[in-house]
Amino acid sequence: MVCRTGDGIVGAMEKSLFRYIWTHSKRDQLIVCAVVLASQPFYFASLDLPRQIVNQAIQGEAFREGQATAPFLKLDLHLPNWLGGQSFHIFDGFELGRIGLLLGLSCLFLFFVIINGAFKYWINVAKGILGERMLRRMRFDLFSMVLRFTPEALRTVKSSETATIIKDEVEPVGGFIGDAFITPIFLGTQALTALFFIIVQNLWLGLMAIAVVGVQFTIIPYLRRELLRLGKQRQLASRELAGRIGEVLDGIEAVHVHNAYGWEKAEIGHRLFRLFDLRVKIYNRKFIVKFLNNFLSQLTPFFFYAVGGYFAIRGTLDIGQLVAVIGAYRELPPPLKELIDWDQQRLDVQVKYDQVTEHFAEERLLPFVSAREERVQDEPLIGPLHAEELRVSDAHGGMILDNASFAITLPAKVAVISSGGAAASIMARILARRMHGYSGQIRIGERDLQQIPPAVIGQRLAYAGIDPILFPGTIRDNLIYGLRRKPSDGVAPADSREEMRRITEAKRTGNPVENIADQWIDYGRIGARDADDLDRILVNLLNKLGMGGEIYLFGLAGWLDPDEEPELAERIVEARHRLRETFQAEGMAGLVDPFDPEGYNEQTTVAENLLFGVPKSDEFKGRNLAYNPDFRDAIERAGLSDDLVHMGLQIAETMTEIFEGLPPGHSLFEQFSFIGAEELTDFEAILRKHARSDTSLSKEERAKLLSLPLAYIEPRHRLGLLDNSLKLLLVHARRLVREMLQSADADAVEFYDPERICAAAPLRDNLLFGRISYRVANAQARVAEAVSAVVRDMGLLEDIERIGLDHQVGTAGRLLTPQERACVNLARCLVKSPDILILDGALSPFDEIRAQKMTEVLFELSEGRSLFMVLPNDRQAGPFDVLMRFKNAQILTEERSGSARDAEKPVPDTAQPIAGEVA
Amino acid sequence: MTLEAEVQSLRQVPMFRDIDPARLKLLAFTSERVQFAGGQRFFSQGDAADAAYVILDGRAQVLLDTPHGEIRVAEMGENALVGEMGILSDTPRSATIMAAVPTTALRIDKRVFLELLAQFPQMALAVMRELAKRLEQTNAQLVAQSTS
Repeated sequence: MVCRTGDGIVGAMEKSLFRYIWTHSKRDQLIVCAVVLASQPFYFASLDLPRQIVNQAIQGEAFREGQATAPFLKLDLHLPNWLGGQSFHIFDGFELGRIGLLLGLSCLFLFFVIINGAFKYWINVAKGILGERMLRRMRFDLFSMVLRFTPEALRTVKSSETATIIKDEVEPVGGFIGDAFITPIFLGTQALTALFFIIVQNLWLGLMAIAVVGVQFTIIPYLRRELLRLGKQRQLASRELAGRIGEVLDGIEAVHVHNAYGWEKAEIGHRLFRLFDLRVKIYNRKFIVKFLNNFLSQLTPFFFYAVGGYFAIRGTLDIGQLVAVIGAYRELPPPLKELIDWDQQRLDVQVKYDQVTEHFAEERLLPFVSAREERVQDEPLIGPLHAEELRVSDAHGGMILDNASFAITLPAKVAVISSGGAAASIMARILARRMHGYSGQIRIGERDLQQIPPAVIGQRLAYAGIDPILFPGTIRDNLIYGLRRKPSDGVAPADSREEMRRITEAKRTGNPVENIADQWIDYGRIGARDADDLDRILVNLLNKLGMGGEIYLFGLAGWLDPDEEPELAERIVEARHRLRETFQAEGMAGLVDPFDPEGYNEQTTVAENLLFGVPKSDEFKGRNLAYNPDFRDAIERAGLSDDLVHMGLQIAETMTEIFEGLPPGHSLFEQFSFIGAEELTDFEAILRKHARSDTSLSKEERAKLLSLPLAYIEPRHRLGLLDNSLKLLLVHARRLVREMLQSADADAVEFYDPERICAAAPLRDNLLFGRISYRVANAQARVAEAVSAVVRDMGLLEDIERIGLDHQVGTAGRLLTPQERACVNLARCLVKSPDILILDGALSPFDEIRAQKMTEVLFELSEGRSLFMVLPNDRQAGPFDVLMRFKNAQILTEERSGSARDAEKPVPDTAQPIAGEVA
Repeated sequence: MTLEAEVQSLRQVPMFRDIDPARLKLLAFTSERVQFAGGQRFFSQGDAADAAYVILDGRAQVLLDTPHGEIRVAEMGENALVGEMGILSDTPRSATIMAAVPTTALRIDKRVFLELLAQFPQMALAVMRELAKRLEQTNAQLVAQSTS
């Protein structure tokens, strides 16, 4: 076994696929091989039994001498002559009549069929598992190598290519692994048995067969290899042909202008000839191979007939033997053919494997550091920071840093002033260990920066560049990303069988045994007691960075699980009542139309009024509701069906009138229309049909019409379609709809209850428990203000912000603004409390005033620790201890006296609670 | 009051007089009807211009900031269009509009309005005609002032 550690593999991929497979799966390969061999006698028996059934039972050979019974399952062991030729009697067997023997032998045959099937099942499953385990190992090894790509290699490595390699390209390799050793052994044994049988019958005939097989095995793979090469050439040539046609099309004007038709035609004609030529060669080769293979297969029987017949006539070989030999030979070609196929597959897979190993060549990878060293050197990154003889050149050989040196005593606040040059950024990246292409040495105390293990760097140093890299998931997931180092209490003991199985499998395939569900965060290290306390720290941090308002809004848009936080749920309901009182007291009652079980809510859709709840499954969301049979049934029974269809007709009429002439896909369609542009014609057809009035609408058409009024809100759409009696009917229908839906699927809709949290509705709706009026100007802002006042009053702010941490950031954080992304990125660095924080452009999304404020906050948060910040000029460098400048590829550091600094140092503005800004 | 009534109001606005009824309906449908309490501001001088308003019911005062405080320069009644210059010229509000009594107005969103103009040349022409007419009137006033 290759020496492994828990984190990955040592070195690069094994060059030879077979060695890789053998190293990691020899035990399993051998076990499967053994079972394959063990299955052979049973297979043989199942082949032999039909002969016995025919001969002994049906034709009655066993009863030839007139006995009434014959022994069944009689077991004798005959030793071969060279072992003394003794016989051992093991079991007498049962004495059975002819029918009994027939049934017995048939049952025995069935028994062997089942045994063989079971063997085959086990072998197939074992081979599949073996292949899949190796595939898992290979994918994991490759992924470990992805993590070790050098920053330089990452510039040329395409991420999509790498992902395809790990996902797709190794798949056929995995499929082959199960067969890698077993197939040749299995088929080889079969072929060898047949050959052996022939040799035993007659040595010469055997030798002849061997000779022909030998020829077959040398020539055919050779010819096939040529076939592979030709195939590849043809693929390339046709790819080039497509490319050339594209070129001609793109440059068709030049072809016209210069009248180059003749030449272009000839050129393409030439390529087509080459394709034709290659195909002809392939056909020739392919059918020659086929011909040869067939010929060689038939050549042996020719020898058998001619030579064997000669021996038979001479009397040295009896006819029975000759027939047996020819029979045995018939068993030979299929395994041989499969062996040759296997060989071709092997070549194919080896080519693929070579491509994979090239992609992960050793020179593209960072050296592997074993886990053990890491513990030894884990000391704070403080003390004198010395850089000596740093040399960095740019892509054209110009020197960015040339023999530059500096010394700073850490902790310090260092302004790295770029003055427009690239050197500052490069220096920041070197210090953050993001760049390796430099010479010279950087030491912190006695330690070489390059030699400090990544685990220490990861924990004690943080770097925020210009592009915040966020992973899909919640804001919280992103913030604690840097805290997930390893499960704090080691690998938890397996407490279930499933978990045990997971760990065993991981060990077998060189995968990590840690469970992602374990506790990965060391709360003590960041000064938190538990997950809630950590949330508090995160919220606090974001507040300090000025993202409190956003987090609060995310929280209002987020969801609360009342089962997990029953206490908070109760307080939210309390806040709901308090809010209602505030509205009443301050004359704001008209701003929000509350959800009332007995009244129609003007400010929301017809659908929400009917459901009086929030649908949880897609089946009940939006227009789908109109197609739900249970809902339709309830509407029908409530006597609303005709009214709603009539409403649908009116809506359709208005929509087709006013949206006519807007091009499909226009943003106004999406924003305002009840009807998509592509449906417009459908609805026009329905309207025409209805106008003729003599034909009634089909069920499908009625459903289509019914779907329109579901989204209707009277004060917003103002089509004057809802009168009081219809509203009353809709409120009455609620109970019916609820009963129907609950009996159909109890979990489909969560209904509103004034005294309880509705888990399917966002927190904002749960607080308001109603809808803000469309009619009143500026109602949104005034209500938001009132909500925020109540939230602050009741001390709910932190809880809501905590829920805001659950906000999804989207792919690459796209659901956040650039400022929010930058904040999350900074907070992710700060929560680690790093000894050294390096910022290079991380504040660029902010305007100058906000950036200035952020710098103050960063100073406050990195009190007693080091901060390196790349600044464009020294205008903002006021509060820093050390200014680092770059001139003529040299580094100049300027230590500033305490008094000069203090004069410029802004007073940290900590007193003002940022949470107060929410509105 | 329904969409139809709003369309009738829009028709009274000179800028929208010649526009096709279906387009006016679209304009009304894509607008919001909002109520202002007496004394509530539509917008304040210096705000970013995000919408124009057609007063459907009630009255609004036009106020200007001066060194001596706000002064009232005009009052707008039913069917008056306010704030349209801001959304067309993309400049901050040049005056404050405040509801004098409880007032209902149709709020025409700037983005939607510009999109409608871009989509329907007939609407854009109507707006241009109205603006040209105003310019002509201003010119005439200037001439009248300079000659008097």
